[in-house]
Amino acid sequence: MLEWMVWTPPTALVFIGLGLLLAGMAVWAKISPPVARRGFLRIETDRGDRLYIGLISAAVVLTVWIAVTDLSMWLALGCALLVALVIGIWG
Amino acid sequence: MTGERLNDVSGDVSGDVSSDVSDVSGEVSTAGATVAGDRVEPEAPVGAAVPRDEPGGQVDTKPRNNRAWFLVLPVVVSVAFTAVIPLMTVVNFSVQDIFSPTDRIFVGLDWFRAVTRDPEVHAAFVRTLLFSAQVLLLEIPLGVAIAVAMPRRGLGVPVALVLVALPLLIPWNVVGTIWQIFARGDIGLGGWTVNNVLGVNFNYTLDSTDAWITVLIMDVWHWTPLVALLAYAGLRSIPEPYFQAAQIDAASGWATFRHIQLPRLRGVLTIAILLRFMDSFMIYTEPFVVTGGGPGNATSFLSILLSKIAVGQFDLGPAGAFSLLYFLTVQIVSYVFFTVLTRTGR
Repeated sequence: MLEWMVWTPPTALVFIGLGLLLAGMAVWAKISPPVARRGFLRIETDRGDRLYIGLISAAVVLTVWIAVTDLSMWLALGCALLVALVIGIWG
Repeated sequence: MTGERLNDVSGDVSGDVSSDVSDVSGEVSTAGATVAGDRVEPEAPVGAAVPRDEPGGQVDTKPRNNRAWFLVLPVVVSVAFTAVIPLMTVVNFSVQDIFSPTDRIFVGLDWFRAVTRDPEVHAAFVRTLLFSAQVLLLEIPLGVAIAVAMPRRGLGVPVALVLVALPLLIPWNVVGTIWQIFARGDIGLGGWTVNNVLGVNFNYTLDSTDAWITVLIMDVWHWTPLVALLAYAGLRSIPEPYFQAAQIDAASGWATFRHIQLPRLRGVLTIAILLRFMDSFMIYTEPFVVTGGGPGNATSFLSILLSKIAVGQFDLGPAGAFSLLYFLTVQIVSYVFFTVLTRTGR
């Protein structure tokens, strides 16, 4: 199975992280149900929506970064996480 | 006191609503309208109606039985096997140079760098976006027009439905084959007519504009019926009294369409636009059969380029990176469409 899916340690870590993130969100939603509100995105979102938008936006930041510049991808990851965080808090 | 008044409104909708609502202050009267509109709860205790619709969102503390969610489990399992695991495998492909399952090298993000900077990919991306935009601009209005023109009762209904639905029953590659022959200048009815009756020189195997038009018209022919059927279903669900009211007001046909039919089509058109965008953005079979991506690169859409890399050259790494970026684009556009069409005005 692992050979068939040709896993590498970095991709495995990413997917474990995503899985933990989703599980964490589920637990959080159980403890305190999410409340929909309106932020600078001008649409009604709860924290799950903002997580989704944040992750997609982070992916866009990484893609644009790798397409236009040769600067370190760690810097890009920092920017992407920052974007995701800003959307998660104020979006 | 406000709660009492609001409860009054919800209880006695037909009576003196207007006087009641106009009595209270502006902010409360909007809340009153919501209560009177679609969230009437007769058993709610007096005074409980107010916090429910606070602008900050609703806090519902009623205990619920969520066990019905277990019925979704088969879908989750099948989606895991048909979508999630393959997608994970593609992610793994995209960061490695694979020669065989045992002989592979981790290359980091090199494939992503190569794909995002490839001019051929850029051209195919622009081409595919343009194609999808044209498909939506043609198929959505045309589908709605066909739906409005279709008969609402009598023998015409089944006849029109069958005629409209016919193209949908034909498999993709057969549609491609039909159009490949139909559009030919020498033996195809369509191509021959354009060349010899209209006198326009039309050859989709040599001219890139002709090839583009052929693929576009083929898609319109194949998929407008889907939009038409969805819109027709939406139109049929509009209650008759709306049209009677329009008739009493002596509304013109256009006014009836613009203010009654079109707003009521919002839901089905959302689905139609999403389906048609995703399908046309991922179109593969028909152009593959008709033009093979040519002449030159004229109709080589993203999926055709992708399959050339993945299957033709068997470059799994670049193909994996390409697929993920493709997937990201479809996700973003679909989400934006969905959000704009369903959340505006809320």
